[in-house]
Amino acid sequence: MMASSGTAERQVRISRIAGRYLVFDIDDVAYIRRHHGICAVFTGTMPQNPTQNVFLGLPVELYAEEAKLLVDKKAGYIADDLADHLSQLKALDPAARAAYFQSLKTQRRNAQLVIDEDKAKSLARHMERRKAATVQPDTRPSEVAAEAPAIAEGDSLFDAPPTKRVSPPVAVAKDQTSLALTPTTSSTLIVPQPTSSAAIEVPSSYPLYAYLNQRGYFITPGLRFGGDYSVYPGDPFRYHAHYLANSYEWDTEIPMLDIVTSGRLGTAVKKSYLLGGQAPEQDPVVGSEKTSGEVRVFCIEWAGM
Amino acid sequence: MSLDDDDIPTAAPAAATASADPGAELGMTADDALEEQPQDFRNFTSQFRKSTHISAQTIRRGEKDFEAHGTRLQDNALEQSRQAMTEVLSYTRVHTQQNWTRAWYFPDWWTDYVEEEEDEEQKQSQTEKKPYAHVRDRVVVVESSSVASQNLGRAITGQAKDRPARGKDWLLPEEALYLLERGSLDLWWPTRGMEEVFSAEAPAAKGEGNDLLAESDAAPVITDEVDEYEMGFPLSVQAAYSLLIGNDGERGKVSLQKFQVYSNLKRAGYNVLRNINNHILALAILPPHPLTTHLPLPPHPYGPLLQPGLYRSYNPIYRQLALLPRHKPSALPSSPWQPADPFAVHYYVWKSSQKWSKTRQPPPDFFLAVVDAQQTAVPSLEEIAALLDATPAAPARPEWAGPGRLYARLKHGHRNVLVAVVDHGVINYMRFAEGAFGEEELFGRRYEKGSFGQLRAAHVACGEAADSDRELTLFEILMLHLAATLGWDGRAGGRFGLVSYLDGAIRQQ
Repeated sequence: MMASSGTAERQVRISRIAGRYLVFDIDDVAYIRRHHGICAVFTGTMPQNPTQNVFLGLPVELYAEEAKLLVDKKAGYIADDLADHLSQLKALDPAARAAYFQSLKTQRRNAQLVIDEDKAKSLARHMERRKAATVQPDTRPSEVAAEAPAIAEGDSLFDAPPTKRVSPPVAVAKDQTSLALTPTTSSTLIVPQPTSSAAIEVPSSYPLYAYLNQRGYFITPGLRFGGDYSVYPGDPFRYHAHYLANSYEWDTEIPMLDIVTSGRLGTAVKKSYLLGGQAPEQDPVVGSEKTSGEVRVFCIEWAGM
Repeated sequence: MSLDDDDIPTAAPAAATASADPGAELGMTADDALEEQPQDFRNFTSQFRKSTHISAQTIRRGEKDFEAHGTRLQDNALEQSRQAMTEVLSYTRVHTQQNWTRAWYFPDWWTDYVEEEEDEEQKQSQTEKKPYAHVRDRVVVVESSSVASQNLGRAITGQAKDRPARGKDWLLPEEALYLLERGSLDLWWPTRGMEEVFSAEAPAAKGEGNDLLAESDAAPVITDEVDEYEMGFPLSVQAAYSLLIGNDGERGKVSLQKFQVYSNLKRAGYNVLRNINNHILALAILPPHPLTTHLPLPPHPYGPLLQPGLYRSYNPIYRQLALLPRHKPSALPSSPWQPADPFAVHYYVWKSSQKWSKTRQPPPDFFLAVVDAQQTAVPSLEEIAALLDATPAAPARPEWAGPGRLYARLKHGHRNVLVAVVDHGVINYMRFAEGAFGEEELFGRRYEKGSFGQLRAAHVACGEAADSDRELTLFEILMLHLAATLGWDGRAGGRFGLVSYLDGAIRQQ
């Protein structure tokens, strides 16, 4: 999970689950956001604060366009997560099993360390507050007396819990079994390699997506503003969307009403309406489909407001 | 700097300088996990510590800009947002002993279970009978209930006494995944059969309890840890997604779109249950909606539009002029179509309430269908009519009667259904209601208490004749009536403009 290799050779695992494309690893998510201009949509519940819908967590759901883009750029691979998991879970060989358990144990131990540290800190804070509050001699001096000097020395907060415990090694061993943990990814269980051979079916708007992405625009679902995509001039953390984009086939007749409605809607939400499409290749050579035609993009703003 | 960094500078030195005796011991245990880099330690702390700084300021810093202007300020703000995101999302779900709820994934346990279709007579005769519960789709069994899970899952009753895991709650895939995501559930993959897992269950739990009591007794040996994964092992969030998310109609799975809507509503505090197929009518029998009973007279194939005769009021005239039949909502489903996916009621939704329990609920507050934004178009009349008919009649509240709440009634409709449109994780809720403009007579009520004085006031309000002493000509009156009936206001162009003028005039009198 924490295996952050160099960014150049990083391969993002895109899990294909029931035809949707998900990314579970936060390092992958940060990586594609930073280096490939893909922010996608956080869809999961945040365990730290599970009763709100403003900030959501992992996994991230990618567009099929985004999955294809990453695969085409050789920055990611598609994995059939159900098959991977089932095969691994059903016939777990001892080595992989041991490795998985070991990683779980390591993580649990780390978590225990953090929790112990937090506990010690809050204990220390509590003690200090108590010390400050009770100027007169305390009624229960035994514990406080034992703790207070340790805090006063201030060199290590880790002093607090061991002084309380009778025998530290036992306590630590005990704690190891008392924590349970749900890892976010299965990276220590399953093999990091592409396992899905099925092609990525992208909608006909893929050329427009790739065109905008290549020019540094960030794209999120357009549902909020009534288009195919919402297009941001940079990371949506910093910028508002500039365009709402719709893709059309090259020879499609676009109803005037579509342009008027989308144009008015876009202007009403302070965005321009962007429409684009890809030209078919001029001389279709045998074997090469019309994939490399140029993409043309137009913006429409409603002037009659 | 980031708000999240506030606690890290204090934490990092604490660990780095942990050179005291017990500190060294702790440092040793951390050795194999950490590569001894301060950067790693930052990640490592945020990985397990519930950051309390998740607020709008943590990720969204200040006002957004219009576009990049190449300043370092802007770059830094973006960088901080991204770092905050990474830190917050690096959190790993940790369960302490007190709030640890373990569940097991047994996908095939109920495969052959035949659920009795509950019919209405049964419901009336034995009220204790539990409603249809999608038992075959229940794939996760919970060992013990917790606060978060007490409103979810269902125990399957009527099982043999020696059946393992009797009386345990079984979760639907979306329930299990939601609980797992919010960190309230530890989902385990069993490596043994159900019998073994749950026969070993009780003693094992007791043993752990004893350990807690006799804390300083015998030092637990390493072999304990091996035993703990004997029956199975915990699954990751990713594994849970791959096992529980599937295509529509797959047994024991839920589609990603439906899960996203489900957890969105759960996070917002609603109670959500899967639709009970075809059982909607049982709870939909309401007292018949008092409808105005007149029907339009069949138009004559010949002759004048208005039959000659003596008319003492305008109402019979208007009724004869209503040539097109209007939709009339009824308490019972009236459309000849059957709801079909995706426009079918998938979830029942309740506002959060004390009275709600997972086995006994009041009638749902909302009926919800989930559709994908890319794969579905605007519903056809067949689809939306069938979908609406799958919900019980929901007439307007009685206190909305009268002319003042006309628009509230029209907006509320006679049945309604919510459609959640999902576009790659972005959800949009839309409400469709069965509208009945024909039920709102705009012409009748004015004349029941009407007079020429009112009409004159109306006329004045229309701004056509400022001279209020002048008697209206019959033509003018007729034109006004016609306009009101058709909901037409030539002057303002608004469909209801004139009508509301008239309403206002009446209320002034």
